[in-house]
Amino acid sequence: MVLETEPSRSEAIQSRDVPEMRLLIIEDDRESADYLVKAFREVGHIADHAGDGEEGFALADSGDYDVLVVDRMLPKRDGLSVIGALRDKGNRTPALILSALGQVDDRIKGLRAGGDDYLPKPYSFAELLARVEVLSRRQGGPAEETTYRVGDLELDRLSHGVTRGGQELILQPREFRLLEYLMKHAGQVVTRTMLLENVWDYHFDPQTNVIDVHISRLRSKIDKGFDRPLLHTIRGAGYMVRDGMK
Amino acid sequence: MTAIGKLFRTTAFRLTLAYLLIFALFAAALLGYLAWNTNRLINDQITSTVDAEMDELSDLFSRRGLRGIVFAIENRALRPGANLYLITTPAGQSVAGNISSLAPGVMASTGWSETPYRRLDDPDSPNHRALVKVQQLSSGFRLLIGHDLEERLRLFGIVSDAAKWSTLIVVVLGLGGGIFVSRRVLRKIDAITGTTRLIMAGDLSGRLPVGRSGDELDRLAENLNAMLERIEALMSGLKEVSDNIAHDLKTPLTRMRNRAEEALAHGTNEDEYRAALERTIEESDGLIRTFNALLMIARAESGQARGNMDNFDAAEVAEGIHELYEPLAEDAELVLKVEASAAPVHGNRELISQALANLVENAIKYGKPVTAEGGATAEILIEARREGDRALLSVSDHGAGIPEADRKHAVQRFVRLEASRTLPGSGLGLSLASAVAILHGGELRLEDNGPGLRVTLVLPAVTGEALAGQSGNVPQKSA
Repeated sequence: MVLETEPSRSEAIQSRDVPEMRLLIIEDDRESADYLVKAFREVGHIADHAGDGEEGFALADSGDYDVLVVDRMLPKRDGLSVIGALRDKGNRTPALILSALGQVDDRIKGLRAGGDDYLPKPYSFAELLARVEVLSRRQGGPAEETTYRVGDLELDRLSHGVTRGGQELILQPREFRLLEYLMKHAGQVVTRTMLLENVWDYHFDPQTNVIDVHISRLRSKIDKGFDRPLLHTIRGAGYMVRDGMK
Repeated sequence: MTAIGKLFRTTAFRLTLAYLLIFALFAAALLGYLAWNTNRLINDQITSTVDAEMDELSDLFSRRGLRGIVFAIENRALRPGANLYLITTPAGQSVAGNISSLAPGVMASTGWSETPYRRLDDPDSPNHRALVKVQQLSSGFRLLIGHDLEERLRLFGIVSDAAKWSTLIVVVLGLGGGIFVSRRVLRKIDAITGTTRLIMAGDLSGRLPVGRSGDELDRLAENLNAMLERIEALMSGLKEVSDNIAHDLKTPLTRMRNRAEEALAHGTNEDEYRAALERTIEESDGLIRTFNALLMIARAESGQARGNMDNFDAAEVAEGIHELYEPLAEDAELVLKVEASAAPVHGNRELISQALANLVENAIKYGKPVTAEGGATAEILIEARREGDRALLSVSDHGAGIPEADRKHAVQRFVRLEASRTLPGSGLGLSLASAVAILHGGELRLEDNGPGLRVTLVLPAVTGEALAGQSGNVPQKSA
């Protein structure tokens, strides 16, 4: 199910700019869990595994984790109730829910139960990694700055002004929100679905490359005529704004 | 269960029994009241005549003495249908009157009493009963005046006869009617049960018999038939879907398998394996998309998505989708325009947005003018407007369109008209849009745009008041 080609993963590893995270994966399917633990370790994170809801709750409650990855249907204790119980105890560790139920109302139910993000199965590891890394940063980082800076690109969230190398760029409102989201998560991979959900607030899967076209328009405005590209395409995963690729 | 047992268990029969019981109680109460009242009336009559005569005779006794009263009594006793008279000495011996025997002790106490008696002039007559009054006259004589109660007994006889006969008639007619009605109902129910058994056994084409009487059972049968019609349509739809799934999902699965097999058999270096794996992931992503679309349609069609509905303006949806797809259309050398006026609807915003997105994607895919140089405008128009009690969301293109004969067909799942077989897509776009429209109680309309195709999502509009109550909840998108 969860397959991802090697080049894109290594590419993502090379170019990401994300601190090490401690993850807890609560998943009853042994094979998926092993795969996730291994894949997260490969990209430089620490991942623990719990095989059922009770164990998951105990570990999440006692351990100091940056993000929880919780399967929705678990033996002994349902994934949503694990998250709900943690929230009741005041534990705010960001949680991403994995579920075979991918419809809009299931997602809403998951988020209401205290989950922070919802990813329907089957998913690609690149998508999961990108979402988990965005969640983790949300916990501690200085998320609500008024000005975002990447290289010589500056975005003022109050005046909605965007400049590059001191030169003002004219962006459409939606292009501004797209860039704002990308710059908020600068150095992190952002997937197409994340953009569709967070910038457009749609939760369906377009059959066409509609996001790519918006990105290429944005790219032509912020990168065209400058020698250092800032908006990068991460093959097989999504996009990233970053000053220079390693 | 025997046929009789079945008959006795019918609702109609049980109702009949209940009514029978109620009528019997009612009749008994009525007759009882009648008898009691008549009895009282007879007693009143007797007491008043006896009292009057008693006054008259005791007055006579005090004026004319024993001789006078004896004469008067002898005289009166001879009249046909006369009252009963008896006058006795202080020693208790009979002086005059028309009574031969009385119950012992009647003369001993004064006042009213009931007693059996025999008349002097008819000593062989059966023992009758009478209501009598005894009064003490002066100098120890006692006078009895009474009246026969035979009338009252006859009345009781009549009443009890009436009760017997009416009970018999009520029971016979009631039971007969009950059985008749029950059997009639039972026959119809048996026919319905028989047919439903056949249908349960698998013959979905069976229909219940509908009589001509138009009674409640016929109406029930008509409704059940309509329900069966719907079930049959759903079942055949399901069958068609599984056939289509078999065809349209097996094809990419086969391709995937072939490619993997070939890479395994003939792959010589890492690059070839990598290419094969990448193609496999691409194919499986496509399959997942198809599955998601199918699940979405199934959910919309089964009505499960009815939660999550709120009031919003379809114009906002049109503008949002226009904004999302405008660059894509431009890349495809098409102009995507939007003309939106307020069209409030109550619905699932996400589903309606997705349906409209599918229509726009279709228009971008198939909406290129046929005659590239011929002057037909390469324009796609998204419209949102209100028309009476309907809100319309439409997408019009100037492409090849769909011939009228194919339009109904095009909405079905997986149908991709021959001309489009070579383009990518799952073939589920129109059926999803149609399922969403039906979920909201509307329809999907396909029309000729001369040239091109106009697809319209027809949704029920919300009235002004309902929207006003909700307007605070409609999220405003920063456009």
